[in-house]
Amino acid sequence: MPAMSQSQSPCSYLIIARSSPYGSQQARAALDIALTAAAFEQSVSIVFMDAGVLQLLKNQQADAAGMKNIGKVITALELYEVNSIMVHQEAVDKYDLDPSQFVQSVDVVTSEEIKTLIAGADQVMVL
Amino acid sequence: MKFSIVIHGAPWSSSASHSALRYAEALLECGHEIVRLFFYQDGASSGSSLCVPPQDEINIPEQWQVLINKHGIDAVVCAASALKRGILDAAEADRYEKNAHNLLPGFAVSGLGQLIDAAGQSDRVVSFVQ
Repeated sequence: MPAMSQSQSPCSYLIIARSSPYGSQQARAALDIALTAAAFEQSVSIVFMDAGVLQLLKNQQADAAGMKNIGKVITALELYEVNSIMVHQEAVDKYDLDPSQFVQSVDVVTSEEIKTLIAGADQVMVL
Repeated sequence: MKFSIVIHGAPWSSSASHSALRYAEALLECGHEIVRLFFYQDGASSGSSLCVPPQDEINIPEQWQVLINKHGIDAVVCAASALKRGILDAAEADRYEKNAHNLLPGFAVSGLGQLIDAAGQSDRVVSFVQ
């Protein structure tokens, strides 16, 4: 990967992951961007919303579909120092889930809180 | 302002690439600067020199090439995205022992780090997903 130019100060990123884990490559792409930004020592937050909440579920049988396990990638986010991992309350409710079913602990946030996060981020990427 | 544009969708099955092209043209007409175009996932297909749409349809990759070369825009196709879709430059074709290469002149193959680098230099990053 290319070196970052020296003059740049770190950006704050908000990644909004709203795609189901295996219906397209969007889920993996969102995580790849989060991991890459974190590897370049940017400040990264990720919020799972809509069908993206399904990415967080434990016991994903990705092998059965010949795919890589998205849940495992999510557990790598903290190792890469992705600062904040959140999930939209509405999505948790809509899919009738409980945070105990997730691969790791996440902060549950409201729509209002997400608005504030979007307003405060230098770059917002929705996938 | 300084913009970077991320193109996620394929040139023919979504409007992402065509919309991004029109958007890029509009930005330049308005006097804005494009730091980088980043062709990600299916967007990498916009770098193919082998697309032959019917004559009465727009040739999106060719239009990108015209814009990129006319304005000297930095245009990157994501390496992993491009390779798996059969979009290769001469060096990649050589490395993977393929018998042809098809990346349009003006496009470069590089990594996702180029997107993060572009975001750091841009006031806005605009993504065209579908």
